[in-house]
Amino acid sequence: MKNWHPMYTLALVIGILALYPLVFGQFMNFGVATLLLAGFALSWDILGGWTGQNSLGHAAFLGVGAYSITLLAELGVHPALGALAGVAISSLLAWGWGAMTFRLRGSYFTLSTIAVAEIIRLIILNESWLTGGAEGKFVPDLPKVFGFDLFDRKTEYYIVLLFVLLVLLFTHWMRYSRMGFYFKAVREDEDGAMALGVNPNKAKQLAFICSAAFTGLGGAIYAVFLQAFEPETFLLIAISIQIALLAIIGGRGTIYGPLVGAFLIAVPSEIFRAQLKEANLLVYGILIVVIVIYLPKGILGSLEYWLYRKNHPLEKGKT
Amino acid sequence: MEIFTQGTQALIDGLLTGGIYAMIGAGLSLIFGVMRLINFGHGDFVILGMYSAFFANKVIGFDPYLSLILVLPLAYGLGYAVHRLILSKLLGASEQTTKLATLGLGLVASNLMLLQFGAQPQTVYADYATNAFVIPIGGLEFRISQARLIAVVITAILIWGLNWMLYRTELGRAIRATAQNRLGAELQGVDTKKIYAIVFGLGMGLAVAAGVLLIPLLSATPTLGTTFTNKAFIVTILGGLGSLPGAIGGGLLLGVVESVGSSVLPLIPALNNHFGSNYRDAYGLIIFLLVLLLRPNGLFGRTVKRV
Repeated sequence: MKNWHPMYTLALVIGILALYPLVFGQFMNFGVATLLLAGFALSWDILGGWTGQNSLGHAAFLGVGAYSITLLAELGVHPALGALAGVAISSLLAWGWGAMTFRLRGSYFTLSTIAVAEIIRLIILNESWLTGGAEGKFVPDLPKVFGFDLFDRKTEYYIVLLFVLLVLLFTHWMRYSRMGFYFKAVREDEDGAMALGVNPNKAKQLAFICSAAFTGLGGAIYAVFLQAFEPETFLLIAISIQIALLAIIGGRGTIYGPLVGAFLIAVPSEIFRAQLKEANLLVYGILIVVIVIYLPKGILGSLEYWLYRKNHPLEKGKT
Repeated sequence: MEIFTQGTQALIDGLLTGGIYAMIGAGLSLIFGVMRLINFGHGDFVILGMYSAFFANKVIGFDPYLSLILVLPLAYGLGYAVHRLILSKLLGASEQTTKLATLGLGLVASNLMLLQFGAQPQTVYADYATNAFVIPIGGLEFRISQARLIAVVITAILIWGLNWMLYRTELGRAIRATAQNRLGAELQGVDTKKIYAIVFGLGMGLAVAAGVLLIPLLSATPTLGTTFTNKAFIVTILGGLGSLPGAIGGGLLLGVVESVGSSVLPLIPALNNHFGSNYRDAYGLIIFLLVLLLRPNGLFGRTVKRV
């Protein structure tokens, strides 16, 4: 396995995921929704896993992406441009948001993300002249893109797969780039990173903007998938928690962890759907408590540790 | 003139609601002060209190406020057990990790309530909920809601009792010692693991008590938990994390800001009838962000270092 390139793994993972519609053609809704959740968790991981800043406000970017594409589509703007606008607005929002709150550390930062996301939710809920208020929005008829119907589940699945591939490619590139090393340095020891000439606030903000941009893109795709949505669909803090927990349960900072987490949780949630009804987050709650106690690195993180790192000379001395 | 009357009435209502907020914040603050643990499930425990009062009322026919006698010891026991069985396994872990565990516990609590009681709001009727004392001052009439007044009195008694326990008893001394220096307390023979469990039980008790006090005023919904977690954070950040008097001040301030903001702002003509009670939750959050950014140690204190 010495010459195994990381890109082979990526090709393998994407290849397997691409087969899903052929095998489970009747469960397309589940497939698209789960893959989308995985995409959100992967985007969250750029900030939460690699830079170590736990945000519980990412639902705001989902909302921004969704509302951007829908409102612009109502004006007759092409959906691709609408999605791009969602990305742009999300990034801008993250830039301002980060500039304001990244002087806070640890739990204080987490608290501030909850507060900002709640304020954004209240604005979207109450400014109904722009957003339709609590009644929500319908996505208008979208034109075909390259002959593909955007409301067809299979097309949507491949669009989402493309989105996931994009985030994964970005993470792969980031991992060994200068930027990625800055991120990791800030995660491990903020003061130490600062002493070595890394500006932690700048690094965190960059990670936040990248993370928000991808989440905004995912939000736009999500809106097209749902076709009709209310503010509560995207903007509740429960959604932010769900995204963050998927990534944490799967394994933070492991590239594929959030993807693994999304599928591992989605399957039992789907099986017990009839019993749990609205209480589908029960699975998340139980799992996170168990994971935090027994597998603090997350599923993939612990697996990686047991397979490779345990016998690594640098890890031997540690407990 | 209308602004003045409305404003005074809003101030009274705000102070009364603030008393309950103070209790929610006090629980969070106590747990943080002793254990350095931010309890992300605190709001869900408030909802647990609302449902236990609702349950006691429907099944046994208890008056909602009287059910405190039954619910409070149960909540303490639950908190004690939760810490002993689950959270004590994480004593050496980082702040991030324990935070996630409390978040998970809150999710479990709220979703179990969702399974048991469903998503529709549940109300408990008490005749003092709608009654009010009317105080005439100079031709104007101000109303003081009976339920809120009783709630504030109970809050005051509970917080006073807690404070008495912390400063006048041997257990309180052990708790304060643990908060100051865990290792030092351990060396003096304090069983700090047990102290932690007791403190978590007390925090749980305060959260649940606040829920019981809220039930005549507000219908119970399982998903409201995060709203109350937010309120608890706001109260404690305003007053300084880990300080009981700070929690009282922060609670009163939050109550007044919300109440005055939602009833006085719409009366200002320039705002064009905007920013009314539908933005009620936002006022607290804005103050919260401002304090977090400008005075991270709280408005009144210098109790905590920046984490």
